[in-house]
Amino acid sequence: MKTSKCLKHALNMVIHSKLRSWLTILGIVIGVGSVIAIMSLGAGLQQSMEAQMSGLGGDILTITAGFSRGITFGHRRPGGSGSSSSTATEEEVVLDRADVQALKSIPDIELIDTNIRGTVKIYYLGKSGSVTLTGVDQKVWSKITTTEIRDGRMLGPADMNVIVIGGRLADSYFDKPLGINKMVNIEDKAFRIVGVLDDSSNSIIMPLQMAYTVLDDKENGVYDSIVIKIKNEDELDYVIEKIEHKLMMTRHVADKNRDFTVSSSRQFQEMRSEMLGSMTLFLTAIAAVSLLVGAVGIANTMFTSVLEKTKEIGIMKAIGARNKDILMIFLLNAGLIGLVGGLIGVVFGAVLSGFMPMLMGGSMPMTRGGAATVVSMESVVMALSVAVIIGVVSGVVPAYNGSKLKPVDALRYE
Amino acid sequence: MTKPKDGARKKDDALVVLKDVWKIYQMGEVDVPALRGVSVEINKGDFVAIVGASGSGKSTMMNLVGCLDTPSKGRVFLKSRNIADLCESDLATLRGKTIGFIFQQYNLLQNMTAFENVVLPLELQEVDDGAAGKQAKKVLRLVGLEDKMHHLPSQLSGGQQQRVAIARCLVGDPEIILADEPTGALDSVTGKDVLNMLERIWKEEGKTVIMVTHDLHLAEYAHNIIELKDGKIIRMEQNHKKVLH
Ligand SMILES: Nc1ncnc2c1ncn2[C@@H]1O[C@H](COP(=O)(O)OP(=O)(O)O)[C@@H](O)[C@H]1O
Ligand SMILES: [Mg+2]
Repeated sequence: MKTSKCLKHALNMVIHSKLRSWLTILGIVIGVGSVIAIMSLGAGLQQSMEAQMSGLGGDILTITAGFSRGITFGHRRPGGSGSSSSTATEEEVVLDRADVQALKSIPDIELIDTNIRGTVKIYYLGKSGSVTLTGVDQKVWSKITTTEIRDGRMLGPADMNVIVIGGRLADSYFDKPLGINKMVNIEDKAFRIVGVLDDSSNSIIMPLQMAYTVLDDKENGVYDSIVIKIKNEDELDYVIEKIEHKLMMTRHVADKNRDFTVSSSRQFQEMRSEMLGSMTLFLTAIAAVSLLVGAVGIANTMFTSVLEKTKEIGIMKAIGARNKDILMIFLLNAGLIGLVGGLIGVVFGAVLSGFMPMLMGGSMPMTRGGAATVVSMESVVMALSVAVIIGVVSGVVPAYNGSKLKPVDALRYE
Repeated sequence: MTKPKDGARKKDDALVVLKDVWKIYQMGEVDVPALRGVSVEINKGDFVAIVGASGSGKSTMMNLVGCLDTPSKGRVFLKSRNIADLCESDLATLRGKTIGFIFQQYNLLQNMTAFENVVLPLELQEVDDGAAGKQAKKVLRLVGLEDKMHHLPSQLSGGQQQRVAIARCLVGDPEIILADEPTGALDSVTGKDVLNMLERIWKEEGKTVIMVTHDLHLAEYAHNIIELKDGKIIRMEQNHKKVLH
């Protein structure tokens, strides 16, 4: 029998298959769906991260106190809550004016911004919430930040009781949207909003001097991080080395007891995306296990189905079907179950992946950038072929058994 | 039809030859002999009825003639070829091209329409769609079911289903038609219709028909009657009523 005819009969079998076959298909749907969802989520995060990376430019460096050889997340003050710093000494290591002075002597540096950061309570129209506040050197910040202003303006040199806020804080944090010239209370002080950032963060940016008064655990002249813009992006690695050298000298530390970290946003993003990559891989592996379970389901269904169709196999053999025709029909049937499951699974996974950032939006820092998931053609093709292969492979043994039945025995089966 | 003497040369037109055929089924520890040394020759154009009590080995013999099974001992020749020498796919092709089966339980595929059932043997032989469709319609017309060809078996009566089965058996233009109790599941009137149809086909198309029945009245349709008992041939005779006609 021609393969096209075998396919027709296999398709007929799927169409007329019982609830059991559909349940088997459901197993594949779930497996493929979760693989697709996780892979798309990973790809989406990767993409938004790359967008961030290119937005951040390769000419920005961040210096934080404390040193860790691993990856540094965020810019926390050592000794502060949950710092991953390796400076396990009792003495607190900080960044201060002396460091800024030292940096100013390096000619390759164009701009230096000093930051402090903390969580504050914000009040608006009787409602309150807790958000991240960053105090910046308002003379430099507008030139160094990579985020654009959506409404209003950046902080200016003469600003005092004014703030710039993140896009999400403006739009949806409170019942009523916050806009330019609205007054909010932060801790016990009133501030006027002068600008809204074109991002989807909940953050507040305010002049450094004001931030010291709001965040009362911060000591004047001590910074959580120093952000640097260098003159020539191509010399990034060289400038990093230079800065490290300089700071080690002024801070009187050697390489082995270094107490500060210089990280470029580029490095940081690369590491983060690497991490994300392996996390996605790990989750995909877990999802793949459910695919495996689906495969066992297909094999199970195929065994039952061959048994159920024993008489039909006998009839077909009596009218001239060869073993290989029977084998082909059942293999294609198993492959089709995989394919149908895969197709539904891809759709299901795509829909699911659309909901995922929403579900984990708050808990995953990477999704805050409004990461859309990306259902790539690659992952669809891969998932579909995996589903079909799983179907065929799980169908091999039952199909072979069916094809080897002796015509008389098959015909006698009731 | 003749009973071959040992060593006697087969006649050229002997289509089916069984030589001292034994079929022994293994039922766990015990051996069940279903056929015990059956020898028979069936010539082209014969209309043979195999009769005998239930369990006498009629179906077993049919299955051997139809290449659905192989003998435990002895030889089966089909068109002068020993079926023991043929491989699985050759046997399948032989079944598809030379033999047409009609079963007691019709044995149609339930998920396919009458037409799809009838065209299936041709699909298996890789006949191209146009010719296959034409041929299938022709045989469906022959059995008077051209208006029901898109019905599923479940939408047809028993007699109609058996006619579909006859159409399916005829579609590949086989030389031998094997019918195992073709009327066993039908009432006597419909059964007669089916047998009349078989007889017509035998006459008009010059086929060789071998039919199993336990109904001696139906055996009257045949020209040769073989009676089996406990796996042995106990009677082999011409049906004089028919031959005289
Ligand atoms: N596959 C089988 N396994 C075991 N015994 C069988 C099998 N097929 C037939 N038999 C036995 O062989 C004998 C002949 O069976 P069968 O040819 O079907 O008889 P008939 O068709 O004349 O009623 C019976 O005793 C039956 O039980
Ligand atoms: Mg029988």
